[in-house]
Amino acid sequence: MFSEMFRQKGFGISIGIFVILLFAPSFLSRFYIYFLAVIFVTALLAMSLNLCVGHGMLFQFHHGAFYGVGAYTAGLLLAKTAVPWWMAFMAGPLAAAFAGLLIGMFCIRLNRLYFGMLQISLGSLLWAIAFRWYSLTGGDDGIHGIPIPDFIASTTGSYYFVLIILAICLILLYLILKSPFGSTLQAIRDNPERCAAVGIHVRRHQLKAIVIATFFGGVAGVLFVVVEGSIFPDLLFWVLSLEVFIMCLLGGWFTFAGPILGAAIIVSLRIFVGSIHNIGPLENVGEYWTLILGIILILLIFFLPEGIMGYNYRKLFHSRSKYATESGTE
Amino acid sequence: MLRVENLHKAFDEFKAVNGAYLSVEKGQLVAVIGPNGAGKTTLFNLICGQLQPDTGRILLNDEDIAKLPPHIICRRGVARSFQIANIFPRLSVFRNVQVSILSQQNLSNKLFRPAERLVVEETKRILESVGLLGKEMDVAGSLSHGDKRILEIAIALGNKPDLLILDEPTAGMSPDETATTMALIQRLATEQGLTILFCEHDMEVVFGTAQSIMVMQQGQTIIQAEPEAVRQNSEVQQAYLGDA
Amino acid sequence: MEGGQAATLAALSSALLVGLSRAMILFIVTSGLSFVLGVLRVPNVAHGSLYMIGAFVAYSICTFFGGGSIGFWLALIIAPLVVALVSLVAERSLFCHLYQREHLMLLLFTFALMLILGDLTKIVWGADYRSIMPPAVLQGSVSIFGSPFPKYNLFLLVIGPLVAIGLWLFSTKTKIGKIARAAAVDMEMVGAIGINVSWVFAFAFVLGCLLAGLGGALVAPTISVTIGMDHNIIIEAFLIVTIGGLGNMWGALVGSLIFGITQSFGVLLLPQFAIVFPYLAVVIVLTLKPTGMLKSVW
Repeated sequence: MFSEMFRQKGFGISIGIFVILLFAPSFLSRFYIYFLAVIFVTALLAMSLNLCVGHGMLFQFHHGAFYGVGAYTAGLLLAKTAVPWWMAFMAGPLAAAFAGLLIGMFCIRLNRLYFGMLQISLGSLLWAIAFRWYSLTGGDDGIHGIPIPDFIASTTGSYYFVLIILAICLILLYLILKSPFGSTLQAIRDNPERCAAVGIHVRRHQLKAIVIATFFGGVAGVLFVVVEGSIFPDLLFWVLSLEVFIMCLLGGWFTFAGPILGAAIIVSLRIFVGSIHNIGPLENVGEYWTLILGIILILLIFFLPEGIMGYNYRKLFHSRSKYATESGTE
Repeated sequence: MLRVENLHKAFDEFKAVNGAYLSVEKGQLVAVIGPNGAGKTTLFNLICGQLQPDTGRILLNDEDIAKLPPHIICRRGVARSFQIANIFPRLSVFRNVQVSILSQQNLSNKLFRPAERLVVEETKRILESVGLLGKEMDVAGSLSHGDKRILEIAIALGNKPDLLILDEPTAGMSPDETATTMALIQRLATEQGLTILFCEHDMEVVFGTAQSIMVMQQGQTIIQAEPEAVRQNSEVQQAYLGDA
Repeated sequence: MEGGQAATLAALSSALLVGLSRAMILFIVTSGLSFVLGVLRVPNVAHGSLYMIGAFVAYSICTFFGGGSIGFWLALIIAPLVVALVSLVAERSLFCHLYQREHLMLLLFTFALMLILGDLTKIVWGADYRSIMPPAVLQGSVSIFGSPFPKYNLFLLVIGPLVAIGLWLFSTKTKIGKIARAAAVDMEMVGAIGINVSWVFAFAFVLGCLLAGLGGALVAPTISVTIGMDHNIIIEAFLIVTIGGLGNMWGALVGSLIFGITQSFGVLLLPQFAIVFPYLAVVIVLTLKPTGMLKSVW
């Protein structure tokens, strides 16, 4: 089962990067360790979304809703009950997958475009509930100071925890994509009508993909709680979902690891932009982050529709384009 | 094996299929012919579940499949190819065929086994039987038109069907390719005992291979009989052959 | 009548009328969305942003004229036109180049447009809450079944059906309207008979956005105008269009009525979570009729 993975070209590079990341905390400041941890969490979120979008062509426009469900479930259980931490951590992804199943069941019956529209609306209901149910969720303020077990509460501790979980999830996602399930999902992406004609229950298969993707989205949500120690309704807000979508597009949505690159770029950009002050009449450029996001998206649509990795892949392997471009690993 | 009775399908005002009858016995090679717009593709879409009829029955082994969705009909032993090459353009030729074999063997949902290693033998066997074995790593979208049509058939074969339905399998092919494809179809019929239903334009092709021919015009069945009887039929001559 | 009964009747009728007047605004906005959906086959996510800009422009015009009645009536005419102009600029400069590409790209463009317009609005008008007064003749309220009902809402109850009739006449009686409807059903055929498909798209897009702007201008006196309006309305509009039947204008009306009325009854029954009620209605409708109540245009 693992031997295919070992033989991939990108595997060696990945191991190398992983080892470097393992030793990173010893020569980075606390801020950068935190910064990397945030990238890891976002990368997992983007990877989970891409299972639907890039490999399934499902217009999962409000994936953030499931991220939020995972975070809120784990966060609320930790903050308000005496449930042991590992149970709370497991409840998050399970709740997210359940929400994914429910919302997915409604959305899957419509065609692609409406799937996305309806999901935005249904997911926003969750945001509205979290926003208004002050007594349970802390409303707009959210909940801060969530008790995280000691061994992962520190910046370095959370860093390692997130890194290891991310690595495990990436391996799982890779295996899933290379399995018959993943292969069939990509076939559905390319030609759902043909798939039905060969006996595949297209809607059911897509729904399963959604449940898997939202499960991993929930894991990302739990990791968010570990890194930040708090939860707020913004996690469930639709624009965040758009941001994750853009990460997948930017990195390369038909490749395996593209979303990781996209996440790293967008998170870095966001933190960089947030630190700029006093450009012309704008006091705080970070306040107009959505404007910048919109411009990035337009540039992507017009100039780089397959994302950075998609473009590189095509350029590098142009001479071999006759041969199959599997969703490669980097 | 397959019986179509008095099938009707209209799109708003336009009556695409207006009283179609068809009978296919097990092991037969049956052809449906008719001019453009006669309703052949619509008929096939109705049989295979892409469309649902307004009235009429479609009996597959005495079971009415008229209202069933395509993937269930496929599970009943029917596989089809499409008139416009309906392959998976981004995937390799190998994966194109593998998808349908995986589906047929109920392996589509396996999560943690590498797809590369599964059903390799069967996939290669099918590719070999249609003559695509050297090209399995090519991206399907880059194949020649004729090869894409053959890949269409290969994908359908992956379902190990009892009844194979081919919608204009030689459309757009050169005479050589047509001959090869028809030879392939005949070989499949005899070697694998497949029952084959196909529709065609090219009269020579049909008369040379089919055991039973159904003639359609304006959505209606004019006649279904052996080739000679069809050739002699005056209605058919007038409507179709006479002006050719 | 008993006091309690009278009070209940007053409350119910008030909720019904408020719901209806809200539904009128929703209808005007979603009819535009539906129209674009029908012709371009793409849900314009920026539709809510244009609604919001309509409201803000109306605010600016009103304050420019000192908050009097003249300002309001002028705003009602000018704001939708301004919004139409904005959408035309966006369409001709960027959007039209994407018509040959797959639908996802068009959809993503409308996302980008929403993000950009949202922040541009924030830059131009700031993040504060704004409000405008309805014109003098529409201020105050009338008593209906013992409950005070704002005159402005009555005005909305009149405007809504007028817009609906106007749209219907337009799409069935005028040449342009008929072309647009034909394009919604079969784009290729329209192109094949020599009509410039790109201009049909442009027209449909601008008209849809104009309706959004009109909705925004009309709603301005009834709520606080602020950024974030775009998100709220587009979420509701998507739901309405989905339960009404995709691309169907009458479906937009049906959906708006369901939404508006369930929402106002929700406010009556459970004020803090009133928002849940329209969603419940949506869930029920979609369970029974997964593709919407009325036939979709495609």
